[in-house]
Amino acid sequence: MTAPPHSDGYCRLETGATGAVLRLTGHWRLANLPALHAELSGIALEPGQPLTVDGSALASLDSAAANRLLTQLGALGYAFDRLRLVGFGPREMGLLRLVAERRAACTLPPLTRRGLRRMVGWHVFRLGRATVSTLAFLGQTAQALAQLITRPGLLRTRELAVQLEMVGLRAVPIIVMMNWLIGVVFAYLLGIQVQKFGANIFVVDGVGLAITRELAPLITAVLVAGRSGAAFTAHLGAMKVNQEIDAIAVMGLSPWQVLVLPRILALALMLPLLTAVADVAGILGAALVADWHLGVTPTTFFDRLQERLPLNTVVFGLVKTPVFALAIALIACHKGFAVQRDARSVGLATTATVVHSIVAVILIDAAFAVAYPEIK
Amino acid sequence: MTATLTAARNGQASPGTAALTATQTAVVAAEGVRTRLGGRWVHDGVSFAVPRGQVAALIGGSGTGKTVLLRELTGLERPIEGRVRLFGQDLAGLSPAALNDLRRRFGLLFQDGALFSNLSVAENVAAPIVEQIRLPADLLCEVVNLKLSLAGLPLEAAHRRPSELSGGMRKRAALARALALEPELLFLDEPTAGLDPIGGREFDRTLRILADSLGLTVLLTTHDLDTLYDLVDRVIVLHEGKVIADGTVAEVARAAHPWIRSYFSTRQ
Ligand SMILES: Nc1ncnc2c1ncn2[C@@H]1O[C@H](COP(=O)(O)OP(=O)(O)OP(=O)(O)O)[C@@H](O)[C@H]1O
Ligand SMILES: [Mg+2]
Repeated sequence: MTAPPHSDGYCRLETGATGAVLRLTGHWRLANLPALHAELSGIALEPGQPLTVDGSALASLDSAAANRLLTQLGALGYAFDRLRLVGFGPREMGLLRLVAERRAACTLPPLTRRGLRRMVGWHVFRLGRATVSTLAFLGQTAQALAQLITRPGLLRTRELAVQLEMVGLRAVPIIVMMNWLIGVVFAYLLGIQVQKFGANIFVVDGVGLAITRELAPLITAVLVAGRSGAAFTAHLGAMKVNQEIDAIAVMGLSPWQVLVLPRILALALMLPLLTAVADVAGILGAALVADWHLGVTPTTFFDRLQERLPLNTVVFGLVKTPVFALAIALIACHKGFAVQRDARSVGLATTATVVHSIVAVILIDAAFAVAYPEIK
Repeated sequence: MTATLTAARNGQASPGTAALTATQTAVVAAEGVRTRLGGRWVHDGVSFAVPRGQVAALIGGSGTGKTVLLRELTGLERPIEGRVRLFGQDLAGLSPAALNDLRRRFGLLFQDGALFSNLSVAENVAAPIVEQIRLPADLLCEVVNLKLSLAGLPLEAAHRRPSELSGGMRKRAALARALALEPELLFLDEPTAGLDPIGGREFDRTLRILADSLGLTVLLTTHDLDTLYDLVDRVIVLHEGKVIADGTVAEVARAAHPWIRSYFSTRQ
């Protein structure tokens, strides 16, 4: 041996009697790859002369480092079979042979930057595809519904019962709490205004109208969209990822009958009931504030309410809710079915469901308000 | 000096290790592992040790707790009683940081791949690397491509999503990811399940070459008799919570236990 190896280097090129000798030292490992790369790129070789690679001072060698060595030497014109390898253990020789055989060129995909035209095209294409898929989903749902009407035996009662409980019963506490709170806040703020005119009793008119016609239906629908809509999408999406929906189809069942219709029906049945509960909770909250803050006793409050709040208004508030329910359930189930087979798209679809269904609820509410503007 | 280095590299015992017990020098060791799941003892005193460089297979009927055992050996779950040692260190006594350091030294191939579904195959393989080492893009790409071709995956699959691959390709992609950090130890949960017989044999051959030339220690579970004959140095048989046989394939195939008899008689 000649001089001892450089302490901090990984390779050294020497010119001996039989041509060039590349001596490898230290740990040739993945963790040191940048340094190895830097040193290897520094070697200059005359392409013609024979090259010996000496591994006797190597501390370790792994496949990534072996690959780098062979790639670099290959680029300098030394194919694996032209190298003379000395001082390597049997394991390293095996590794070098395996890597030489499996080595592949680096193929970075060309970075495609989307120009404006491509972007527009891409979005239009996506929009078109989304529209088609929405229409297909609506069509399938309508077809399933028609089937169900002609053959009521198809109804999945167990799934329906489960959904009625999940969507309806379990939502009652949060719906009661939120609407009660809204009733309290609204009566309090309205009370401050009517007190200025000494018209405390008018709080009843305002509260009754606002809660039954707008606040309770909207708050309830938004809560249900966030709660059940998200649950529908996440559940159906996870089933899609797991191929459970395909499994249902292969069993000769319609996923629409098994999964979609029970959810739509459950939501359409439960949202009006939840809204009725919400009406009561909101008005009780308001009555409490009226008693404490405005000196309107509960008896006076409810007498006045009966006299001033027409049944029509309450019914109007309730009539919109099945439409809200339909929109929420359709959006949620459609997004669930549209999930791709990866985990991230479940999250994206769930977010989209919540946003889209809340927007849909508010738009539908606006449409109802424009269609029936008269307040008795 | 060169001689001792080479000896150490090739895994020969250096003087002084003779005093240590077999389980302490082993790369993987289970000592009296007991596990209770779903109201019954899945493992009831399981012990074995796999020395460096060996390819060992765990076999046993469905539900005998092979996957659960691998999860315990990799520190994802803890046995109720008994010890698990990796590289001589008791997992129970390790801090989370030390456990994570240990985990960088082995790779795990899950039974169903467990590839990240929102990343491409190449990104899946790159994921463990970029967490550990800062590499320029071209070097990273080179390493990723090497791992993919070591695992036998065609490079045109590199930019596809896992959901766009066949089951066998997913297995290979998962193997490439398990190999990403140059592990010394590889756990494989049913590597050839779901592959066609030709693909399965090829996968076995790839693993054998990798184990020999990368100096890997491998512990795998399998239901595949061909894998046992092609690939494995040693078989450990789990049955009703216990190790009922442990030895080379030929030794185990001669054992008298009725389950082993019927297992090996499925192939004439
Ligand atoms: N999270 C869990 N809760 C309850 N029981 C479990 C749980 N995970 C596994 N088990 C039970 O533990 C036992 C062992 O399961 P395991 O998945 O390890 O089997 P296996 O040997 O890998 O089977 P296979 O060969 O089919 O993959 C099974 O009986 C299973 O029911
Ligand atoms: Mg298993």
